[in-house]
Amino acid sequence: MTAFDYAPAIALLPFVSFLVALFGGQYLPKKGALAGIAATAGSLVLSAWVALTVAGGQTYNEALYTFTAGLETFDLHLGILIDPLTALMLLIVSFIALLVHVFSLGYMNDEGETGLPRYYAGLGLFTASMLGFVYADNILMAFMFFELVGLCSYLLIGFNFREAGPPSAAKKAFLVTRFGDYFFLIGVVGIFVTFAGATQTPGLFAGEGSFPVVAEHAIVDGATEGLNTFGFEPQTWFTILGLLVLGGVMGKSAQFPLHTWLPDAMEGPTPVSALIHAATMVAAGVYLVARMYGFYALTPTTLAVIALVGGFTALFAATMGVVKQELKQVLAYSTISQYGYMMLALGSGGYIAAVFHLTTHAVFKALLFLGAGAVIIAMHHEENMWEMGGLKDKMPVTYYTFLAGSLALAGIVPFAGFWSKDEVLYEALIHGFGTEGGLGTVFLVAYAMGLLAVFFTGFYTFRMVYLTFHGEARTETAKKPHGVRWNVKGPLAVLGILATTIGFVNLAPVKKLTGLEVDFLHKWLLGAEGSGWEALLTGYEHYEHVLHDGPAHVLVGEPLGATGTLIASALLSLGLAVAGVLAARSLYKVPEPVEHTDKLGSIKTLLMHNYYQDEYQVWLATGFTYPLSRAADKFDQGVIDGVVNGISSVSLFSGSRVRRLQTGVVTNYALFITIALVVLLVVFGLTGGWF
Amino acid sequence: MIPTQYYLLLSAAVFCIGIFGVLTRRNALIFLMSVELILNAANINLVAFSFQYGNLSGQVFALFAMGLAAAEVAVGLGIVLVLYRNFSDIDVTEATTMRW
Repeated sequence: MTAFDYAPAIALLPFVSFLVALFGGQYLPKKGALAGIAATAGSLVLSAWVALTVAGGQTYNEALYTFTAGLETFDLHLGILIDPLTALMLLIVSFIALLVHVFSLGYMNDEGETGLPRYYAGLGLFTASMLGFVYADNILMAFMFFELVGLCSYLLIGFNFREAGPPSAAKKAFLVTRFGDYFFLIGVVGIFVTFAGATQTPGLFAGEGSFPVVAEHAIVDGATEGLNTFGFEPQTWFTILGLLVLGGVMGKSAQFPLHTWLPDAMEGPTPVSALIHAATMVAAGVYLVARMYGFYALTPTTLAVIALVGGFTALFAATMGVVKQELKQVLAYSTISQYGYMMLALGSGGYIAAVFHLTTHAVFKALLFLGAGAVIIAMHHEENMWEMGGLKDKMPVTYYTFLAGSLALAGIVPFAGFWSKDEVLYEALIHGFGTEGGLGTVFLVAYAMGLLAVFFTGFYTFRMVYLTFHGEARTETAKKPHGVRWNVKGPLAVLGILATTIGFVNLAPVKKLTGLEVDFLHKWLLGAEGSGWEALLTGYEHYEHVLHDGPAHVLVGEPLGATGTLIASALLSLGLAVAGVLAARSLYKVPEPVEHTDKLGSIKTLLMHNYYQDEYQVWLATGFTYPLSRAADKFDQGVIDGVVNGISSVSLFSGSRVRRLQTGVVTNYALFITIALVVLLVVFGLTGGWF
Repeated sequence: MIPTQYYLLLSAAVFCIGIFGVLTRRNALIFLMSVELILNAANINLVAFSFQYGNLSGQVFALFAMGLAAAEVAVGLGIVLVLYRNFSDIDVTEATTMRW
């Protein structure tokens, strides 16, 4: 037996814990928490085993259960694809899920929340669906689990459904992501329709005959036989398909303009926020782009759109984070911003940088959310940072781990975020200079936005840290915070150590400068030499080839020479981050901080209202879509139904009149017969020529 | 020999009397009698033409019509009885409860 035989259990274990918590949670000592911890720990162990097997050079790409068999055409099936990217993501998801379960003991059980079986059932199903999504081998299965992830986020965000905020936030999250998923669904169907004629396995992500590979043959080699591109050039049509699928990605990964659900999703319990932001849901979108990167790398337009949306979102969300007053709100905007960086990296050809940032972000954002959860426990569920202050000495474990996470988020060397964010920006920069034409310009514009966002990131992160932990305690609650137990400190400590060190898995700049072989993640995503992975055609080597030789022609350009560009890029991003941190320090590291953001005047109002994004989307719904659907409803009710109803009411009316003939008086019937006879005689007489 | 036209005139007269009875009377028994008159008008016609053309089919047919009329009277009287039982009257215009 190899690890791959147990791979289905990685997703099934949390699913079992979902069932256990749902049906037996009431009777268990920790209301289902222990089942969840056991299941996610099991998933983590299995994921580690799978990762070790993958490191040994093996990969896996099999259909397991065919639910619709096609006659002489493709099948619809559930299957498992395991390559280094999958193995990495499985590890991240099961690891974060395990820590979130443990943390929930402190955040939910110890705080005496009710409805815990429902909560743990939700967490279990959430983890299971994300794991299923991660190793889905075809895009239909990915879509199914993508939807399940959305459903679970709805259930968990709305956990406290008796209050006013959470149900509406849950509905918003569900509807906004569903709006994106609508395009994704069309994209999935489009992919099946397009590639069904050219291959037996149009939905697969990997291997010869998978849709990215067939698309590549069509564009690079001109092998368009059997493709159904609806009369478009293959490249145009693939761009359309790519953008459709990207709709789902932008909804789930909270990219502009579908990011509005995410800050509201803070209404959910804090461990759920950690899970949503670090490992599941929001990560699903970016992961999907990475999963089918061979397809996106083919079309320069989609790359440009991804890079621009990413860069813009990174900057846009970071500016909003600057003025927020609630701890979790700041973190929410930082999440949107950081996923913007990942999109920027994917769009600008920095595949490894994106995966790297996804990894480090998972760690430090889980850390920050769990740290925020610890602060919220301590503050008796007060979330406004202006009510805090001076928590540093009272909760040192939380403070130091939160500080490590903040340094990672701000991108200060040598914490995890520095290495990954620097690589993202560096890749965007060199590809921007190297690529000819409009695509290169787009990369540079996106790079500039990403670079500017670094300053804001440093600023809002440390504004948050100083307001929460430094200075004097500003309220009675902050003077006497509630203590937290091992089940809160444990996950924080683990993540704190990781947030400090995980950047060392891919020291690409160090390698370039010193020649030391320290870019482990890079090697991991390249795959072992001669491994079974090459046949899957999902390796970085393959993507690099597609990016260079495909229509995008993404090339590397180094205006200051190899070393010079590298150092300049790193210094620039580090310098901006430090500038942001120092600005925050000078403004907020005082015993009695004041709201300096008031000086921004009308800009603050604009930022506090999130650039009126919600307002215009609500206007779109109530001012545009609602009247439109009203008109459609009128047309349906009036014209379509009107014709049907008209016919029936005419029949009814004439029936009610005609039935008057049936008087029930036999004399009348006899009269009718007689009259009819006379008329008949007259008619016969007239036509027969008697007269 | 009496010309056939006279029989036809007689038949038409009897028929008209029958129709008149059906259209104007409300008593179910008179109704029944009027229907008998109509039937017999037809019988006269049949016999007259049979005589005219020397073909016995018409006369045989008239015999059948008489038998039919006897049966019809039996059913008709039964209906009249039920009518009386339900409405305490044999006025045919009263029995209108089966309409719409």
